Amino acid sequence: MTISTSAFIAIARTGRSIAKTVSPRATFPSISLLSHHDDDLYRLSSNTVFRAYTVSPRLAKKAWDPSLDQYKYWNREDSKKGEASYVLDMSPESIQKEARILCLAAENDDANNPLTKGVLPFGAKLLKSGVAPDDFDHASIKEQRPNVLFVSPSCPHARHQLPKMLRLFPSIDWIHVRSAGIDFLESEELPVVLTARPNLVVTNAKGQFSSSLAEYVMMACAYFAKDIPRLLRQKGAKVWHDFDITELRGKTMGIVGYGDIGRAAAKLASVYGMRVVALRRNPAKSEFDPICDEVYGTGKDALQKLMSVSDYVVCSAPSTVETRGMVNADAFKASKADQVFINLGRGPVVDENALLESLKNKTLRGAALDVFATEPLPPDHEFWDMDNVLISPHNMDKTATFMHEATEFFVNENLPRFVLGDALLNPVDPSLGY
Amino acid sequence: MYWNRETSKPSASHEGEIIREARIIALSDPNDVYNEPLYYGPLPDGSKLLAVGSSAENFDKEEIISQKPNVMFVSHPNSRGPLAKGMFSSTLAEYCMMACSYFAKDLPRLMKQKNNIQWQQYPVLELRGSTLGVVGYGDIGRASAKLAKAYGMRVLGLKRNASSFSDPYCDHLYGIDGLHSLMAESDYILISTPLTEQTRGMISADVLSHCKQSAVIINVGRGPIIDENALIEVLKEGKIKGAGLDVMTIEPLPESSPLWTLDNVLLSPHNMDMTLTFMRESTEFFINENLPRFVKGKQLLNPVDKAAGY
Repeated sequence: MTISTSAFIAIARTGRSIAKTVSPRATFPSISLLSHHDDDLYRLSSNTVFRAYTVSPRLAKKAWDPSLDQYKYWNREDSKKGEASYVLDMSPESIQKEARILCLAAENDDANNPLTKGVLPFGAKLLKSGVAPDDFDHASIKEQRPNVLFVSPSCPHARHQLPKMLRLFPSIDWIHVRSAGIDFLESEELPVVLTARPNLVVTNAKGQFSSSLAEYVMMACAYFAKDIPRLLRQKGAKVWHDFDITELRGKTMGIVGYGDIGRAAAKLASVYGMRVVALRRNPAKSEFDPICDEVYGTGKDALQKLMSVSDYVVCSAPSTVETRGMVNADAFKASKADQVFINLGRGPVVDENALLESLKNKTLRGAALDVFATEPLPPDHEFWDMDNVLISPHNMDKTATFMHEATEFFVNENLPRFVLGDALLNPVDPSLGY
Repeated sequence: MYWNRETSKPSASHEGEIIREARIIALSDPNDVYNEPLYYGPLPDGSKLLAVGSSAENFDKEEIISQKPNVMFVSHPNSRGPLAKGMFSSTLAEYCMMACSYFAKDLPRLMKQKNNIQWQQYPVLELRGSTLGVVGYGDIGRASAKLAKAYGMRVLGLKRNASSFSDPYCDHLYGIDGLHSLMAESDYILISTPLTEQTRGMISADVLSHCKQSAVIINVGRGPIIDENALIEVLKEGKIKGAGLDVMTIEPLPESSPLWTLDNVLLSPHNMDMTLTFMRESTEFFINENLPRFVKGKQLLNPVDKAAGY
């Protein structure tokens, strides 16, 4: 038994009087982080302690299973807010290090106000906000050795700026991406720079936008089930013709890319009485998922199986080297009759020409698309003219405050964890692309 | 006492002895395919179908009258409502959430932009955190509330008999006198009452004046519950955001009605519960649930209060 563990037990027995004199950090036994070597990504130092998250008894058994790492990830609705800030406020002496932040974003990006104009946690300070590495290339900034880089998708040419920033500031330990998608940072240089920096951690805003996209998914399903295109046509022509509609109850939703967004959509779909099947890289992680009826791994066969059983397909996979063009003509050939296809992940995951063909030859009943290979969608694209395509300009998660909330997540949840030396939420693997 | 297609347990075996016969006459269209389970059976033990006809004259025959039919099955192609309570609630709940989303994600704007080949991002609203007010918290209201709760909405209800009622899906229940409060607090208002003398014209100009400017009214009850002219006025003037109407005062809706041309109205021809299977399921419910109960002398499901009208 290590000394810290016995100290923990001693404190637990003798109660509060001793706890007051001992820093709370010492009460948590130092567990050598999970043997899974992927977790090295978010291990900041050998002193990293693992915070015991409270979970319901039903999940407790699973929560400690290293291969089911849901505790690493943030969900705007379910996760407990402010845990780390609370600890920091109560005992500021617990901080392990300072956070010296650089912010890479477009000028006047108001969504960053919680960072640029707000109150930061104790131990964190913003050194500078800029648009390109040149804005930061001053001795006064360099000598302060910034260790945190906050990147917004609004930053022009971000994929070129990022490797430059990393070379300019070898002191950067942590990159936080304000959005969920990190494909805008992909470049050939980046893996080279990152390999030389094995301790660099990258995190994103996963789980921040899921529930609004889940609402869009159900709306898109109902749009076709109740045949809104026909309703609108009839309304335009002042025709009263009562036609049969279909229910969502009893139908099957297939989710390609069963991450936080997929899970939020599955939650709603299951309340509607739909059956849910899903596809993800690590199917074992969803083995005990009560919402998902069947989960498949990756591969052509798995995708075709999903396409063949699903009435409504939701594509919520990120755009990575593996997923680009994944949903192709072969996949659509396997589609169940009258299928509706919904894409809210990234355009490039779907072969747009194959999708277009399938819509034209009635393989698909219709499609609801919030994302496209090229955005804005070019005015001469055939989608604009098609009655059975619901087009939205990549805005179905764009509530008035969504990006502010993403910045707030960085400021209120991950920054306190960083200064406390805790594991950061939402680690991403740039080599995997998500 | 009430059957709900989703949540009621099908009576696997109606234990008990048969204490009387069911001698059925069916006032329905003999060619109605949805009634085939009744016409062609098999019917439960103790029941038999005497005759099928679409009007009283068909039954005015000695051989039918002498057998003293004691059960009448009524099925008119246009009849819906209380006779098959609980049968279509989930379908209408799906429509309710769709209508809410239709306005939350501003689909009218999306349609306009599509027509103009215009790519313009705009902010959308979340249903999460908004309030659904259910006027007439019956089976349909409850099914809608269940979905709304899953979305993270707050649910208010209104019921004739609000006392001693608690429901996990309803955050606060009002009595009849709470109508103005409900209208003032709700972002989305579902009208799901039956049409009775009390509810006719209930949603008047005065009641509508209490609505938020961002309110959306969804009617799945009956057209005459809302003062249609008053509704058209507030829609035209932008005093409420929009309306989703599956029922209208006159159906089919006359061509002259302004509802056809108002941008902020989602119109449907009273078909949002018209699934391919709903009629057939109603007949099957009669055969599989209520007939066995009848012949064994048990209490029947879905009683209708004739005086109340539902």
